Amino acid sequence: MLNFLGKRAIASGISLVGLVLLVFFLSRLTGDPTGLYLPLDASEESRMQFREIHGLNDPLIVQFFSYMGDLIRFDFGDSIRRSEPAIDVVLRAFAWTLQLGTLTMMLVVSCAIVVGSLAAFHVGGIFDRIATFFSLIGASAPDFWVAIVAIVIFSVTLGWVPTSGTGSVAHWILPIAVLFIRPFGLIVQIVRGSMITALSSAYVKTARAKGIKNRAIIFVHALRNAMLPVITVVGDQAAALLNGAVVVETIFGFPGVGKLMIDSILQRDFTVVMAAIMVTATAIFVMNLLIDILYSILDPRIRY
Amino acid sequence: MTRKPHIFMVSALASACAFAAQAQDNSVTIVLSEELEIVEPCSATKSNVGRVLFQNISETVTEMDPETGLQPRLAKSWEDMGDGTWRFHLNEGVTFSDGSTMDAEDVAHSLVRVKSPAIACEIGAKFFGGIDITTDIIDPTTIDVTANPPQPILPMLMSTVTVTPSDTPLDKFVDHPIGTGPYTFDEYERGQYIKLSANPNYWGEQPTVQSATYLFRADSAVRAAMVAAGEADIAPSIALQDAVDPSMDFSYPNSETVFLRIEHEQAPLNDLRVREALNLAVDREAFVGTILANGTLLATGITPPSTIGYNHDLSPYAFDPDRARALLEEAQADGVPIDTEITLIGRTNNFGNVLEMMEALLAMYQDVGFNMKLEMVEVAEWLERYAKPFPENRGPELIEAQHDNANGDPVFSMYFKYHSDGQQSGITDPKVDEMIAQATAATGDERAALWSELFAYLHDEIIADVMLFHMVGFSRVNERLDFAPSIRTNSELQLSQIEFK
Repeated sequence: MLNFLGKRAIASGISLVGLVLLVFFLSRLTGDPTGLYLPLDASEESRMQFREIHGLNDPLIVQFFSYMGDLIRFDFGDSIRRSEPAIDVVLRAFAWTLQLGTLTMMLVVSCAIVVGSLAAFHVGGIFDRIATFFSLIGASAPDFWVAIVAIVIFSVTLGWVPTSGTGSVAHWILPIAVLFIRPFGLIVQIVRGSMITALSSAYVKTARAKGIKNRAIIFVHALRNAMLPVITVVGDQAAALLNGAVVVETIFGFPGVGKLMIDSILQRDFTVVMAAIMVTATAIFVMNLLIDILYSILDPRIRY
Repeated sequence: MTRKPHIFMVSALASACAFAAQAQDNSVTIVLSEELEIVEPCSATKSNVGRVLFQNISETVTEMDPETGLQPRLAKSWEDMGDGTWRFHLNEGVTFSDGSTMDAEDVAHSLVRVKSPAIACEIGAKFFGGIDITTDIIDPTTIDVTANPPQPILPMLMSTVTVTPSDTPLDKFVDHPIGTGPYTFDEYERGQYIKLSANPNYWGEQPTVQSATYLFRADSAVRAAMVAAGEADIAPSIALQDAVDPSMDFSYPNSETVFLRIEHEQAPLNDLRVREALNLAVDREAFVGTILANGTLLATGITPPSTIGYNHDLSPYAFDPDRARALLEEAQADGVPIDTEITLIGRTNNFGNVLEMMEALLAMYQDVGFNMKLEMVEVAEWLERYAKPFPENRGPELIEAQHDNANGDPVFSMYFKYHSDGQQSGITDPKVDEMIAQATAATGDERAALWSELFAYLHDEIIADVMLFHMVGFSRVNERLDFAPSIRTNSELQLSQIEFK
């Protein structure tokens, strides 16, 4: 296992370096940020000063090696937009995204497993039909529409929860609810399909013949074997959340990393873009490692 | 274990009660469209920075009021000493929020700081580019400020200079601004809120609003919903489609003017008849109340009608497609290549419905016979096409732009948009250069008359561009406030002007 982890870490490190190279040069292709930060009427003298301050006058290759030199010392540079270390800006935002994503995925996985398993137990039954209907709607509902409608109904009309922002438990309800819907719909379908296969297996029939209770058959015997494809999809959905739930963060004023990345790209705040990509990429590498470990725990046939 | 859900519910309900009770009697909550990247007084002319800092935290030497003209603020009076020097007499007994006394040294330091090469201050770059400023401190409350080249509007320029203490660093932005204003900067929780509270030692009259919280929401519908739900008191900027409640929503002239800049050097746009046809082909009135908000004004000049010297005698070009076609035929008969493809360039997200407006303009131009295509480009590419040095090998272009001038004087607009050396000028006309120089050097009624002549020359004689609209903005204001947005709301929001009903 340690050998496997070591190999994965090295592969991840190489991928990260490739990512840094790619993003550094691609982001510079978007052009000079000077015009975006100075007023339209700024003189050429002011523009030259701005470029000098932010090292934009140097040839691109010089900028790259200077950046890599700083990076080795874990100096990600300063944000042009905010005049503070880029890594501080990113970690602050990533903490919000991590909390939001973790809470949402915990809820999604818990609910989807229960609902998907029960739907699979009586295929074609009323619960299965209702679960399938609503999960398909959930998987196809656009986030921005659900978010705005939820604000109008639950905040403006009923006044139950705040429209947006942070600061209290109530502020988390709508963003999590909106983020919940789509992965929940998707994962319910995956759990259902996987459980239908598992429940028709010979070992389940044997368990039934032995008189084992339905709850134990579903949640102990069948579920463990049905979880591998579910974990793959959960990992995929979690990675999307770690990259930031841009729409939800934007609408609900959540200061997460997705909105930060979009704003930074639009503003050509290169240091923040680079730091954000490195932080989220590292988080996704770590998550993939955890998923690999989870595979081997759930299925002892998998050995690294 | 079974008690945990109850604890969560109680906590959620308590939080819900807390947010509902957020709006207190003497405090206001303002929801802005974007987070402030910096809280730096020397960049307070940026609209969202200005709405927090300008005249709330940081006061200026003079103050420009679009209705009453230039007013005293930290300076109680000023006089022209000749040779580009103006003497400013400062108010006595003014203190910063850190307790130190404001004096002429602070004003001198602030003037140096807005032009400090180590930081890119918006105020220095926007208003003092190409101008050398020197100061001479006569006594703690008297300072001579000299501009080279001389600036007849120096007192007006001083209405942009936010005064900071003389120990404010010249090489980095501040993250906790200190000023002389009626409020103190209490806290900035990045990504979440900014809090101000009334300055108990303010040298002027104490304001009614005792504290303010600024929140940031990118989505206009959410900003409007927050005011409707009582979570916020003012959303200074909301979209047209969200301004649906007459009891809370205000429209105001937002000091922005939309126009199409014409490249005069490129054929066929170098022909006066073609430029007139470009103006006659546009049904401006059809946009108002449809794609653009009711209250939008048809423009004849690049600055708002409240600007000094705005020529109110000029009439917008009437919609006359037949005349436009006739002019194009006449030009073609004289060998003007009117079949050359013209690129109509729009800036994405420049304002609400800009894409729809550009598509409608394209249809109108194609209808009268122009060979035209539309390109919508994001801001960075737009800047490369709009500002000098222009791209080489470009063809004839019409570039949509929105220009903001809330300063009350056309001087900056005219120089940058029409002078041969202007950063965004599409024309090279020695007469225009001369007229700008004369008006810039003049004062009082003569200045207004000279600007007025220039407006007429640009609009009627050389048809410099396609003037379109003076825009309006929308704000939503909670009914408990006695506050009406104005042209100033586009760039500042003085809390001291807010009262409660």
